[in-house]
This record gives sequence, structure tokens and C-alpha cells, in this order.
Amino acid sequence: MTEVGPPESDPEALLQVRDLCKYFDNESGLLAGVQLDDEFPYVSRSTSDVRAVDGVNFDIKQGETLGLVGESGCGKSTLARTVLRLLEPTSGSVYFQGEDLASLSGEPLRRMRKDMQMIFQDPQSSLDPRMKVGPIVEEPMKAHGMLDEEGREARAKELLEKVGLDPQHYNRYPHAFSGGQRQRVNLARALSVNPDFIVCDEPVSALDVSIQAQVLNTMEELQEEFDLTYLFIAHDLSVIRHISDRVAVMYLGNIVELADKEELFENPKHPYTRALLDAIPVPDPRSGGRTALLSGDVPSPIDPPSGCRFRTRCPEVIQPDEYDMTEDAWRNVVEFQRAVERRAFEETDPDILRSRYFEDAVPSGDAGTLLDEALGHIERDEFEDAEQILVERFADQSVCATTTPAYEVPSDLTDGRHYSACHLRRDEALASAVDEPAVDDAARPGAGATEADD
Amino acid sequence: MSEPLLSVRDLKTQFFTEDGTVRAVDGISFDVHEGEIVGLVGESGAGKSVATSSILRLVDSPGEIVGGEIEFKGETIFGVEEGDDGELRPRDEMLTEEEMRKRIRGREIAIIFQDPMESLNPVFTVGGQLREFIEINRDLGAAEAKEEAIDMLREVGIPAPESRYDEYPHQFSGGMRQRVLIAMALACQPDLIIADEPTTALDVTVEGEILEMVTDLQEKYDTSFIWVTHDMSVVAEICDRVNVMYLGEIIEQAEVDDLFYDTKHPYTSALLDSMPRPDRTVDELRPIQGVMPEAIDPPAGCRFHSRCPEAREVCREVHPEPRELSEEGGAPHTAACVKHDAFDVGYDESPPIDTRATGGFSAGFTETGGEAE
Repeated sequence: MTEVGPPESDPEALLQVRDLCKYFDNESGLLAGVQLDDEFPYVSRSTSDVRAVDGVNFDIKQGETLGLVGESGCGKSTLARTVLRLLEPTSGSVYFQGEDLASLSGEPLRRMRKDMQMIFQDPQSSLDPRMKVGPIVEEPMKAHGMLDEEGREARAKELLEKVGLDPQHYNRYPHAFSGGQRQRVNLARALSVNPDFIVCDEPVSALDVSIQAQVLNTMEELQEEFDLTYLFIAHDLSVIRHISDRVAVMYLGNIVELADKEELFENPKHPYTRALLDAIPVPDPRSGGRTALLSGDVPSPIDPPSGCRFRTRCPEVIQPDEYDMTEDAWRNVVEFQRAVERRAFEETDPDILRSRYFEDAVPSGDAGTLLDEALGHIERDEFEDAEQILVERFADQSVCATTTPAYEVPSDLTDGRHYSACHLRRDEALASAVDEPAVDDAARPGAGATEADD
Repeated sequence: MSEPLLSVRDLKTQFFTEDGTVRAVDGISFDVHEGEIVGLVGESGAGKSVATSSILRLVDSPGEIVGGEIEFKGETIFGVEEGDDGELRPRDEMLTEEEMRKRIRGREIAIIFQDPMESLNPVFTVGGQLREFIEINRDLGAAEAKEEAIDMLREVGIPAPESRYDEYPHQFSGGMRQRVLIAMALACQPDLIIADEPTTALDVTVEGEILEMVTDLQEKYDTSFIWVTHDMSVVAEICDRVNVMYLGEIIEQAEVDDLFYDTKHPYTSALLDSMPRPDRTVDELRPIQGVMPEAIDPPAGCRFHSRCPEAREVCREVHPEPRELSEEGGAPHTAACVKHDAFDVGYDESPPIDTRATGGFSAGFTETGGEAE
């Protein structure tokens, strides 16, 4: 594998994540995956993995905040838990301060945990309702054998003050606190063992906006004071824009774009990032609302699309080389193909469909012939055959489907590096990692299935 | 302007708990006109959801609507009068519980809740639930109702509605489920739909699609909406007029553009300032100090004074009722803040209360932490 893509290979980095994968068994239990067949041997066993995190690379430097953003179900939380080794990675490595967490276990791993902490989304359920706040904050110190009893109490009180609570609240139960205050208790607990790195999994999304701002400000102050490094997960791009130094955008288990905050928000190079940015509502009635919304649902991570995973919803899928359609005609073909796939219409008359989907531009030549064939199937109500033609001959032929994109593009606004997993960037790319799918396969055991189709 | 479709006057809903009376909604008034989307915005605990359940008379014990008037299309949903013994009793023309159930809820006023999984029964098919609802409320036969149900599913953008009709709620994604609920709400073509944070649990991309669809359907059916939300961005996008709630009261009422560009109440401005912006990088957020006090023991005077950056001594004493502040000929714009000349209670001469000098974050938190016990 070449030194491209998100790996910034900075030896100084606090955390380096390399080709990290986490798959889950789709089914569990004794008979999981067992299927009955008509022929001998009558029983077969197939496993379908949910590829929650599939080949993720990134670095986090000391003292920075990396924002991780994506729609729900894209694997953000799984990634966070796998990075901390709360989940066993399927493959890949996580280097924390130079040591590979994926290969550690037992006592050495437990000792490493002291330097990595996590804050969870729900401030209510992450605090034991039967423990007082003081002991909650002290517990990690106890687990790691820090200080004596008095020392721990003094430190807990000091930390409560640091996160903006009254040290006298030491003897209160979590229920006596509001949501924002509970999240501060979580912060104090995470800080108690003096960690270098904190993973924050949607720490403010359960809070009201006014409280959200208070907690975000406190987190920034603490970062400065204790020289903390954050991996900050959120689905809210406004929050990410406020708190991050660099931002990674995740889609269906992959990181599709990674760049400095300003660069990513002002100069996004991946169509998915652009679609996400367009979809954020702006608190301003004169902003004109959102534009160009994505259509369709996120595909299943059990059988993700080959090549670029975003291609099934991407508004800018690249035309296969074998055709020579105009840009408009190609867009119409894509739109029609997706409509057929989703069974979005019931009309079978080819003329009406033509005027609905191909009014401004009709593909000619080979593409035109194929389209006629597909329309013919639809007329005879054979939607599946039509879908097969459209998908196999158009969608699956695109470079987006055949090759997994990974490019490093020049940053226009900042000095940082800019990674974009989109074939549209192939001409301007400084470096790429796409020409070696075979090497890629070998490096990612278990990921071969999709590439094998290509 | 024509007669409002729904008019709420001085509505008060209280919860009688062991710890005391919680004044969840404390004298709010607002109108909804035909074909309008009215926003009801505020932080959690402001009383938004209690206000909407009061409109449908769905407040459960220990809660009770204790005063005010709710008129819907000339009918009285809630109204009280003073009896001979001085006690308040429901007026005669107030709709009975049966009329509410059979005529109003679902047929005339529909409601969409935040969590679509909780509103759909997991053991029945999506189509079956929708069909049943149509059958009961529109007196259609089973076959006709099914056809209507499929049409509604198509209307809200569910692909291949015939085959999805027989699927169960767990087979639908969150956005799809919310679409089903919207289909259900629209099925009886009600005049008013109350949407209680319907997009809060959804991703922004899905939220965008749903809001777009609602705008289209609203134009098509000319339905009015009360849109309950805590998200100012959603308000900016979808609402025509907005009511901002704080601790059981409506503190500002304006057309959406005026609310953002000619903000009259310090709470509304503080709320807008505390939000991180997606369209530009904000270096430092300016949060509102402290947390909202409990509705069981609201602060005297203006309820926002304990957190208000512009608070003065007079705010502790005078409780402002919302007043009309718009210039002549302008759209109605009311706010409940004594800093405006219309109130004339000596705000300018009053010495400021320094809510900020008490020490940043910790101040607000310590204070309210004390109240919480």
C-alpha cells in the first residue's frame, strides 16, 4: 500500500489508526447462518458480516481535536469504541503513543486505558444512579491505583470545580443534576486519571442549545489547560465546525474526506461532504433553505456497494468510459436507473417514461439501444430485467463502481493535507492509492468479497 | 385577517405533584390561521409539549387545564365559567369527551410525535395500522381504505407502496416511519396538524427531505400546522409565524423574518447567539448563563431575569405581560420585556443586575444545583 490517503504517517502523532476494520456477525447463536438447500449437502453455512468500520486510516496529533461526522448508522460510534479497544478490531492496528493497542491484552492494555478516556452521549445512563458524584469521579483513580483516599477526594473536588460545578456537590447523587451538569460530571470523571486522549461520542447532542454552548466552551477550556486531544464525534455539523481542528467525514464504514476544518467546510471535495453541508439548516429565514438534497437511503453495510460506497446516491457519478453520452443524458440515465431500482413509479408506457426522465437529453448509440431494451422490459412489466440491464450495463461499469477511490488533493485554504475518496479528483490528485486493488485486498483480509466482483 | 382556525387564550395547565404545583403552561395565547405553519419553540421544559396536549385535551392526571379558552373553528374545545358557588366549571358548549374523541382528534386535529417507533405498533403491519385508522375515521370499507392507505403512502414518498404495505415498522428506517406517521396524520385531511418535534431524531439529510415534503403537502392540502421544535434552524426554514416559549410563557411572538432580524426579547437573542453556525466559524460561543429554573417555583418578576444579560432591578419586581411592539402598519410582533418603551416601568433608571459578574459558568451552575435539591 502506498503512503497515500488519510494516513499522514506523522511519527509525532498521538494516535495512528491504520486499516482498521470491525465486522459484526449479522446473526448469532448455534444455528447462525445455517441455510437449508434443495440439493446435497442440503445444509450450508453462510456468514454475512455487517461491515461497520471497513478500512479506516487517520492520525490525531497531540493537542488537536479531530471531528468525526456522518449520518446515523455510518459507523462513527463503532469506530470510536474500536479505537479504544472497547471492541475487538477485526483487523488493522491502532497505534497509541507508538504502541499497537490491537495487539495488547490483559494488564498492559488495562494500564494503557488510563491515558484514554471516553465521554458518552447520554449523560443519564452513563452515571450510576446509586453512587454519589464524588465516588463516581474517584472510581477511575481507584481502578488505576492513583493516590490515597484523601488525595482522591481532594482531586475529585478540584476537578468538579474545574468543570464548572460546585465542589460541595461531592455528596450528591446524579439525579440532582440537570443534563448539562451530568455531562460535566462525566467530563470530571474522564479527567480524573489525567488522560492524554478523550473520545467524545456525541457529548452534547442530548443537551439544549443554550446548555450545549456552555459545555462546548468548558471542553475547549479544559483542552487548553490539560493539553488534551479529542476525537469528537457528532452528527451536527455546526458543532463540529465550532470545536474541531480537522474534520473526517464518514460514510458507510469508510472515511470519505479528511481535511482541516476551514478547508473542508469552505472547499469540500467529496460530493457526500457537499451534500451533507447543503443539508444543514441555517438558522436564518433569509438563507433560502437547503438545496440539492440526497435521495434514497443509506445502503446496507452487510453488502455495501463496490468501489465508492457513496455511488448509489451520488449526484455526480462518473460516466463509464465505453459510452459517449452528453453529461445531461448520463444524468438522466442515472436518475432513471435509480428510480427503477427503487420502484419509484408504476408507469409502464415507454413514451411517458421517456418524456418524464429523458425530456432534455436522450442517450444515443449503444447506450440508447440498452435504454430501449430496458424500457421494453418495463412495458412488459419485467422490472427486474430492466433493473438488471440498467445496473449491470451502466451503474456497475462506472469507475466509481470498479475501483475504490483514495486521493490526496491539494489544500487551497490551509497547509494541512486534504484527503478525498472521490474519482472526480483523480486529475488534480497529488497522490493516489487506487491502482493497487490487489495489494489493497491482501492488506485487508475479509474485505476481498466486494473487490472480487470487480 | 380572517377568523383564526384555532385560538388559544390565556391557557393554563398545571400539574399537582407532591412537591407542589408545577405551572407548566402559564397563561399563553396564540392563534393559528388557515394554511399557516406556526412555530412553538423553546428549550426542554419550556412547556411546549404540555401546551400541545392541552389543545387536544390530552393532559393526564396529575395535570389539569385550569383556565383559559381554546376555540377551534367556532367550537369550544376548552372553556370555563364561574358557577354560582364561585367555583370554575366547564361551560355547556364545551365539547364532550366523546365528541373530542370521535370528531376532533385525528379527524380535525392530528398529531405527529417525535419518536415514530413508539407511535407505531410493532406487531401490526404498517399498512394495516394505516388502513385501520382510515377505516375508523372516514367510514370506508376495508378494501377502499386499503386503496386509500396505499395512495397516502405513495403521497408521502414511500417507494413501492404496495409491497411495503405488508411490512412491519421495524423494516422501515427512521425517516420512512416518520413519513408513515405523516401519511396517517394527513389521511383524514384534518384542518390542523400538530407536529411535536417530528424531525428531531432524524439525520439532517432526512430532516431536509421531510421538511421539503411537508411544505409541498401543506400547499396541496392547505393544512395548518403547529410545529413544535427546539431547533431555530427548522423554525427559520419552515415556519410563517413563531411563538417563543420560556418557562410556561410565550415571551415573543412574531413573523419568522422579524424574529430573526428584529429580535425584541433578550431570551430569543441569547438563544440565537448560543448556537454554533454551520455557515461560518464562530470563535467563541456565547451561551446563556445557568439553566432554566423549575416551573414549580418560577422566579418573581420576569422569569428570565436570573439568566438575562440585560436584567435590571425592575425585572425582579415587574412581571411583564406580552405587549404589541410593532410599528404602525407592520406585522404583529409582541414581546414580554420591560426594556421596551411600551412598558414604561422605569427600566432605564433601574440599576442593572450583574448576572455575568458572578463568575462565568460556575455561577449559574452552582446556583441551580442548589435549586435542584
